[in-house]
Amino acid sequence: MNLSMLKPGEAGKITSISAIGPLKRRLMDMGVLVGEIVKVEKVAPLGDPIEVTIKNYNLSLRKKEAEGIEVEVVK
Amino acid sequence: MSLELKIQSLKLNEGENPVRKKAIIVAVAGNPNSGKSTLINAIAGTRLQVGNWPGVTVEKKTAVFEYEGRKIKLVDLPGTYSLSPYTQEEIIARDYLVHEKPDVIIDVVDATNLERNLYLTIQLLELGIPVVIALNIYDEAMKKGYKIDIKAMEKMLGVRVIPTIATKKSGLKELLKAITEIVDNPAIHIPKRLHYEEDFELAAASVESYIKTTYPHLAEKYPLRWFSFKLLEGDQHVLQEINLSENETFIKDIREHLKRSHGDDIESLMADERYAQASGLTHEVLKKPETRKIEMTEKIDRIVLNRFFGIPIFLAAMWLVFKLTFDVSGPFADWLDAMITGPFKRWAETILGFIHAPEWTVSLATDGIIAGVGFVIVFVPVIFAMMFFITFLEGSGYMARAAFVMDRLMHAIGLHGKSFIPMLLGFGCNVPAIYATRVLENPRDKALTALLIPLMSCGARLPVYVVFVGAFFPHNAGTVIWSLYVMGISLAILMGVIFKKTLFKGEAPVFIMELPPYRMPYFRSLMIHTWEKGKHFLIKAGTYILAVSIIVWFLLNLPWGVENKRDSYLGKMGQVIAPVLEPLGFGKWEAASSLVAGLIAKEIVVGTMGEIYVPKLEDKKEEKPSLTEDLKEIGTSLVSAAKDSIANIFSTFGIASLSSEESPEMKEERESLRNVIRKQFTPLTAYAFMSFVLLYMPCVVAAIALRQEFGTWKWYGIAFVYQMALAWIVAFMIYQGGKIIGLG
Repeated sequence: MNLSMLKPGEAGKITSISAIGPLKRRLMDMGVLVGEIVKVEKVAPLGDPIEVTIKNYNLSLRKKEAEGIEVEVVK
Repeated sequence: MSLELKIQSLKLNEGENPVRKKAIIVAVAGNPNSGKSTLINAIAGTRLQVGNWPGVTVEKKTAVFEYEGRKIKLVDLPGTYSLSPYTQEEIIARDYLVHEKPDVIIDVVDATNLERNLYLTIQLLELGIPVVIALNIYDEAMKKGYKIDIKAMEKMLGVRVIPTIATKKSGLKELLKAITEIVDNPAIHIPKRLHYEEDFELAAASVESYIKTTYPHLAEKYPLRWFSFKLLEGDQHVLQEINLSENETFIKDIREHLKRSHGDDIESLMADERYAQASGLTHEVLKKPETRKIEMTEKIDRIVLNRFFGIPIFLAAMWLVFKLTFDVSGPFADWLDAMITGPFKRWAETILGFIHAPEWTVSLATDGIIAGVGFVIVFVPVIFAMMFFITFLEGSGYMARAAFVMDRLMHAIGLHGKSFIPMLLGFGCNVPAIYATRVLENPRDKALTALLIPLMSCGARLPVYVVFVGAFFPHNAGTVIWSLYVMGISLAILMGVIFKKTLFKGEAPVFIMELPPYRMPYFRSLMIHTWEKGKHFLIKAGTYILAVSIIVWFLLNLPWGVENKRDSYLGKMGQVIAPVLEPLGFGKWEAASSLVAGLIAKEIVVGTMGEIYVPKLEDKKEEKPSLTEDLKEIGTSLVSAAKDSIANIFSTFGIASLSSEESPEMKEERESLRNVIRKQFTPLTAYAFMSFVLLYMPCVVAAIALRQEFGTWKWYGIAFVYQMALAWIVAFMIYQGGKIIGLG
């Protein structure tokens, strides 16, 4: 299951990040790390991008980028 | 200016130190949205100088000032989340820190978002430069009920931590005082080494000693610990810089060893490690209240980013920004224009007449120079207004939301969500729109947006449409004009897709963007940014524009004394170009010359046509107003401009009604021009001509804006070539296609 599949209000724990190179580094620099809890807040009105909270702040990313972030749902 | 030098001379002499005359170089680093610019504005105020980092389009702010008899130079680094080498901003910040070796780094940390901010802090500490942390937005953290143990933080990091509230100028004195203390005694202010996992420490230590023995010059040039970490990470930027292969056996072995035992790429491991440190630190020093209040930002976003309301709210906000930018600045632009073409011109004529200057110098001074200056100045109000609203949108946090809402749409043509705002402003005037591309961080997004802006039909093209539509399509005027706007937008989409696949081939930049909390922008910051931009435009762009308008004056009027415009240089150019326009249906020198003159601004196409087709009635000898009358006129019309500007704000909200007054002479002049045009064009060629005016080359001011914003003529060159080609092809298709289906 990846981050783009979560619905608003659902949260997941990051299990792996398949992105490579600059994208991966950028995600990591923004605190998107394995083991981190990430909660989907909103989907943009046109369906993309999405807004998540991670490390106590709000981050938006496109679904394409969210697809590379594997999560397991946490209740 | 190196640190060692400073330490040495400080040792030599404690009292009257010659080094104290030298500026203390202070680099200011921090995350975006950490209130860094506000802090700098609060410290430096109007002493701030805005320029660009060499070779790039990223803004560089510096300020030199005195504090307790010491000279301090602040250098604002671009806001970054990290010092990794992937964005332009990160590379600039890090190259500056590593190569210029400032005396002190102020690290601006957002107290409400400690963990992510400390991630950057940890990287800064590795550079071996004294750091002082400005724990900014401290008031908001307190309001949230956060308790931050500053003493503990100072102890754990080995650096001074000063709580600051930049918007209230609180903590700034303490910050400056800390800087002077650090400079007086740098040795005891070197940050602590934070410990990585044992394996990394061992690996770094062996790389350090390897570098020291094998490449002693590198050991001197770079902060060693930082350098070793970069080699371990396999940092391409550093490797390139020192011309060292990634496969340097010694380092390769160590990297392989780390990979084997940790099973991931080292860069990620290091990022993980740093975040682990940041997280550990945060846990130690920060106590949060048990229950979390629902915050204002959350409440606002529930409405502003709502599935149904999100887009209407966005569109309403954009409409407001557009209206305010152009309506508020409009009356002032008109006032300036009237002043310069009225009283100033009259005064110059009087003075030159008084000293019996030859007629051509009078014409050069008034029609060339004064008209040119006026031409530059009328842009200033709109640049000010644009800068004010753009800075407001950014500072308030709404810019990120606008990007969030629009990204899906803009991404389809290879742009970024934030591209929408500059594109929209393009409908008012392309010039501020091109300057507004500064909201885009990525150079690719920025360049692509700027290339497409000229296809947005700006206000200067409207007068051309009005004349032609009035002559040929009086009953469908609205529809025809509307079709031209739609044509521009459609072609922008088409060109966006083409550019994406050609000029900007390759991976599109990622969209990973923070949605910062809403904050009220700091008024002083707004004013400083607005002022700086306006001033910059006036001085830098103004010079170019003036030069070009003088050249055009020569073209129009030389050889001096030509009776027939056909014999002027402009007329001759028109005659040369006309055959190229023949397949488009308007291959006449009059049309061609008007198009050439449109280089200055597209509305001049109409003016030039008027001059060529409708020779002016002999100027009525009007009574020249006296100096006092002129001055009175300047004053009263300024007051009425201010009134109009304010009235326009209300009319934006639909309260006041706007009545545009047009003198009967203007109407008459336009009617006589229309009569001639009706004979020279057909409805089909008129439409082809309007399309050509919409699409062909950006005007000279837009060209200079492109040059200013990108530091190179490259993008203007590309815009010129593709727009000319596009204009020709589209007009060709309209004319030839129309003839085939029998419209000719």
